[in-house]
Amino acid sequence: MKGYTGKILKVDLTTGKSSVRTFDEEYVRKYLGGQGFAVELVYHGVPKGTDAFDPKNVLAMAGGAFDGFPVGTGGKVAWAAKSPATGTLAESIMGGSIGPELKHAGYDALEIVGKAEGPSYIFIEDDKAEINDAGDLWGQDTRVVPETLKKRHGWDVKVACIGVAGEKLSKIASIDCDDRQAGRAGLGAVMGSKNLKAIVIRGTRDLTVHEPKKLLNLALQYQKIYEAAGSWVEDTKYGTGEFLGWVNKDRGVFPTRNWQESVFNERDKIDPYYWATRYVTKNKACFACTKPCGKLFEVKEGKFKGVAIDGIEYETLYSLGGACGNPDVESVARANELCDLLGMDTISAGVTVGFAMELFQRGIVTEKETGVNLAWADAPDAVPKMIELMGNRKGFGDVLADGVKVAAIRIGKGAERYAIHTKGMEPPAYDVRGMKGHGLAYMTSTRGACHLRAGFYAPELVGKFWKWEGIDRFSAVGKGPMVATMENFMCVYDSVGLCKFSRGFYLIAKLPEVIEAITGLKFTEDELLKIGERIHNMKGNFNAREGVLRKDWLLPQRILEDPIPEGVSKGHKISVEEMNTMLDDYMKARGWTSDGVPTPEKLNELGID
Amino acid sequence: MVKMLVPYPENCTGCRFCEMACSIAHEGNVSHVNARLQVHRRNVKLDFPSVCTHCVSCGEDCCVLHCPVEAIKKKDGIVYVDQEECTACGTCVDVCPFDVMRLEDKAFNCDLCGGDPTCVKFCPMKAIVYEEPKPEKYEEINRLLSQEERT
Repeated sequence: MKGYTGKILKVDLTTGKSSVRTFDEEYVRKYLGGQGFAVELVYHGVPKGTDAFDPKNVLAMAGGAFDGFPVGTGGKVAWAAKSPATGTLAESIMGGSIGPELKHAGYDALEIVGKAEGPSYIFIEDDKAEINDAGDLWGQDTRVVPETLKKRHGWDVKVACIGVAGEKLSKIASIDCDDRQAGRAGLGAVMGSKNLKAIVIRGTRDLTVHEPKKLLNLALQYQKIYEAAGSWVEDTKYGTGEFLGWVNKDRGVFPTRNWQESVFNERDKIDPYYWATRYVTKNKACFACTKPCGKLFEVKEGKFKGVAIDGIEYETLYSLGGACGNPDVESVARANELCDLLGMDTISAGVTVGFAMELFQRGIVTEKETGVNLAWADAPDAVPKMIELMGNRKGFGDVLADGVKVAAIRIGKGAERYAIHTKGMEPPAYDVRGMKGHGLAYMTSTRGACHLRAGFYAPELVGKFWKWEGIDRFSAVGKGPMVATMENFMCVYDSVGLCKFSRGFYLIAKLPEVIEAITGLKFTEDELLKIGERIHNMKGNFNAREGVLRKDWLLPQRILEDPIPEGVSKGHKISVEEMNTMLDDYMKARGWTSDGVPTPEKLNELGID
Repeated sequence: MVKMLVPYPENCTGCRFCEMACSIAHEGNVSHVNARLQVHRRNVKLDFPSVCTHCVSCGEDCCVLHCPVEAIKKKDGIVYVDQEECTACGTCVDVCPFDVMRLEDKAFNCDLCGGDPTCVKFCPMKAIVYEEPKPEKYEEINRLLSQEERT
C-alpha cells in the first residue's frame, strides 16, 4: 500500500508518553484518510458523556489521502474533537502544510489525549515525539508563536498553534497554521483545555508513490482543466469573495445586520472587485494548491496601517462586514487580523458581534454594559474593538467570547430571539430563507450551521450541480435525499484532502484514478460514497449518543418567522412545516429514526461499531 | 548566455507543487528534503522559490570553490557534481546560499531536467521561469536572501 505511512501517532499529554499504532488496507478502505481518520479516532476514542474540555476528549489531526502529493488543491488537513460549542463530534478542515509534514515524519494521523500540567507544545521530528515547555509562548499571538518556534527548531518546521482565545477556552477559538485556520466549532479551545499551545512538526522521510509518472500526468491534466474554467481566473484575481456582488444582487441571500436584511446595500467597498486592485499585493496558496484564492491584503496608510493578512475570504466579508453592517474594508481586514492573531473563527466571531449590535439597536444592551458604542453606524470602529475584547475575554468581550448561544443565555432579556445559530454554531454567509435545501443542511450538519458539510449552496444558487439540474432554491421538495448525498460526497472530499473549491472539477468519478496512481488501491465511485456515508453516520451516531437529537437541530426563530424584507428573495422564509418535511425526508434518506438516530440496521450495514 | 531557472517571488504562492513534482520526476517519490529546489515561507508576506541558479548571479560558485576534492565542476555555465570524485563530505550543502545543493549517497543538484525543467512546467503561477537571467534579477534575489533570517 503506497501513499500511506500506515501509522498513527498517539500523544498522551497527561503521562507524557507517545505510542504508535499501525493500520492496514482494511482501515483505509473503511475511512480513506483525512476527515475519515480524524473522525474514527474521536468516535472510538472519546467515552460517552465526556465534556469537551475533559482531558479524555481526543483532538485528532490527519492529512487527506492526497496530502503531500502533487494533486492540485489536495493539501487539506482535518482536525476533529468533541466540540465545546455544539457538544457534537465536529471536524474543521484547514489548508495548512502541517498534514503533509506529519506524513513526511511518518504518520498519517495524530491523536492527542490527556492534559499537560502546564503550558506545553508537542515537537515531532521523524521518530522523535517530545512534549516541551511552552511557558514563554503562553499569551503570545499566532504569528509570534511559529516565528519563535521556527527560530528554535529550524525554519523548515511546520507549526500549528492557538492564540489567546484558545488559551482562555473561548468556544469559538480556532487553530492556526501558515496563516490558515481550522476555525469552526471551537477546536482551538479543546487544544487550550489540554494546555497545548502548539504542535511543531519536521518530517524528512520520503512518501512513496504507486505510479509516479501517471500521477504527474494527471496533475498536469487537471491543471489544464482548472485553467480552462473561467472561475480559475476569477478566484485567482479576486479570491473567494468574487461572487459577493452576485449573491447580493442576483440572489438576495447575503445576511446583513444580523440577518435582519439579506442584501447589503453598502457593500461596494467590501466587494473584491473594489479592493483586489487596491490592497492585494500578492497571491497566497495552501499547500499543493494550484488555484490560489488566498490574497495578501495589505493596508499601507491610514488608521489601520500595517494590517497584513491572508484574506479577506467571502465568509469573513460577511461576518465582519455585512453581518455587522460594516462597509469599511480596512476595518474588516483589521478585525480579520485580530481574529487570526487571537485565534478566533472569523465567522462565529463576526456573527456574535453582529448579534450584540442588534441587541444594542433594540436597547437590550447599552453602552453602559458593552463599553463600546455598538451602533450600526459606528461599525468600522466597533467591530475591531469588540473582537479584541472577545479574544482577550475583557469587559463585554467576556460575555460574547463563547458565541451567540452562550451570550444570549448570559444576557437574557429575550436576547435569544436574535441569536442566529443551529446546534450552537453561528451560520455562514448564506441566508437560507432563500435557499431551503441549504437551510436543511444547516440543521443536519453534524457540527452546527455550516455551508461545507453539504456544500448545498452551490447547487441551489447555480441551479445545477453534478447529476442534478433545474434545482429550485425556494422549494423544500426533494431536498432531503440530495442533502444526504452531498454530505457523503463532502466527507469523501475531506478524506482525500481536496479543497471544496475544486469539487466542480474533480467530482467523485475522477477520484479513483488519482487514488490508484498514488496508492495502487482500486475504488469505485460507489465505494467512495459509501465511505462518505460511513463517516457521516459515525458522526451522527456519536451525536445521538451524546443526546443531540432532532429537537436540537432546528432552525433559529428568525428563519422560521421573519420573511426576507427586500431584494430578489423578498418574502421568503422557511416555514415550520417545510422544515419538518425536509427533516423527515432527510431521516428517511439516511435510514435514521425521525429523531435523528442512526438505526442498528444502518450501522450494521456500514460496519460501524 | 545559458538559460537558467529564474525565480519570481512576487508570483510565488507557496504551494510547493514544484518541490513535489521535482522529487517525483527525479526520485519517483515525494521528498521535500531531496527536491532540487525549495520553497521558503518565512512569514505571511514572503513566499520564495529558492532554485539552483548555477550561481550565475554573483559568479562566486560557492560549491565549486569550497569542494575540498574539486568534485564540483562547471561546464557551459552549469554546475554539476562529478559522482566519481564526490566524497559526500557535505561541504557544498553547507555553503550553498540557496539551500538547493543536496546530499544522499553523493552530492547532487539541479540538472535542469535536461533542458525541460519539471518545476517550471508544474508552477501554475509562473514563479519559476526558464530563461536567460538578467543581472538585476539576481541582485533582487540576493537582496531577498540576505534579508532572510537563516538558521
